[in-house]
Amino acid sequence: MKTVRIWVFFISLLGGLHWGLGQQEEVLPSIVADSLEVKEKIPLTLRFGADLSRIIRSQTSDDFNGFEAVADLRVGEKFFLALELGNVETTQQVEQVNFTTEGTYLKVGFDYNMYENWEGMDNHVTVGLRFASSSHSQFLNNYTVLDRTRFWPSSDIPISTGYATGERPDLNAQWFEVVVGFKVQLLKNIYMGLSLRLNRLLNDKLPENFDNIYIPGFNKKTEDNIFGAGFNYTLTYSLPFGSKK
Amino acid sequence: MNKPYFKKFLYLGALFFLFSCERDDICIETITESPDLVLLMLDKDNTEQTRTPAGFSIRALGTEKVLATQPSDSFALPLKIQENFIQLEFILNQGSENENIDTLQINYQRFDKFINAACGYRSNYILESQPILILNPGDNWIKGFTILKDTITENENRAHLGILH
Repeated sequence: MKTVRIWVFFISLLGGLHWGLGQQEEVLPSIVADSLEVKEKIPLTLRFGADLSRIIRSQTSDDFNGFEAVADLRVGEKFFLALELGNVETTQQVEQVNFTTEGTYLKVGFDYNMYENWEGMDNHVTVGLRFASSSHSQFLNNYTVLDRTRFWPSSDIPISTGYATGERPDLNAQWFEVVVGFKVQLLKNIYMGLSLRLNRLLNDKLPENFDNIYIPGFNKKTEDNIFGAGFNYTLTYSLPFGSKK
Repeated sequence: MNKPYFKKFLYLGALFFLFSCERDDICIETITESPDLVLLMLDKDNTEQTRTPAGFSIRALGTEKVLATQPSDSFALPLKIQENFIQLEFILNQGSENENIDTLQINYQRFDKFINAACGYRSNYILESQPILILNPGDNWIKGFTILKDTITENENRAHLGILH
């Protein structure tokens, strides 16, 4: 429940923020009641870049090697089609098991910008949704056998060859992500962004005699094995290529 | 909301992820561990009948621990996971003049089944087709054995091996 509560807090924070901004702007008097509403042109932009946190983590950690490319396409004044494509190889000790997960993932969906920009600014406070899918494998490196009585000595030494150890290939998972994010325009075409994600697993192909404890892109399964959380910290370049009315 | 304010939010979000910790996964007590091998001491003349040997005790070789249950006509033996056999001394008339010790080796194969990350795995066993070796052949009080059930799994209450004497 803890992660869920934290997320509810974050989402409510955003709601409050937006409401506060709206209030401020309503104070401004509307000077001219324009009878002929001119529809502004929406610049079409393709924004692409990479997650910095995964690059840094790959450099600093021996147990993690990953990369995530991100892209979004502006399709409306406030709507963006969004995409993330990533690859992960990570070795983890989770309680009694030590395993290596390797695989790729793809996330597609949309972002909705709630932030009312002043003229000439282009910052984002977004909420969005993703459908995501992974293709991965699990390799069980070692594990311990449950033994509370410890009648025989050395029963706590992990099993690292034979028995249940080894690779489980051809696994996959599908899930939804609720995304809240910020993007700040640093330079004209350069943006820095942070997004937080709450993941809800829909389906996963379980490895034989093991579990998908970690799924690429979804991260660790928690809370009754269906929830996960993630984030990225992106640097993106925006490429304008026209406009539409 | 201007840019510096905006950036503070980015830092805040990054901090939240750095210091967030996960709930400890604990293996709860109700999860059963690897099953024990259950032995029955049977009458060699009537293998349907259990019989408690006189002055009977068992010593496991390779451990300082003593069996939790005092051997009578049936008892449970934990199996090793580091090796595919256990060795035991079956002692008849312990402490008396005609004490007779038979040393037995019990052979089995092990299979580990996943429980969850917190508990790890649970071992199940299958007795080898020749499950018992007598390591001190000669004047043995143990005359033979019979396999009652060759698979040893959790959540069952059956004897696996009968020892004839």
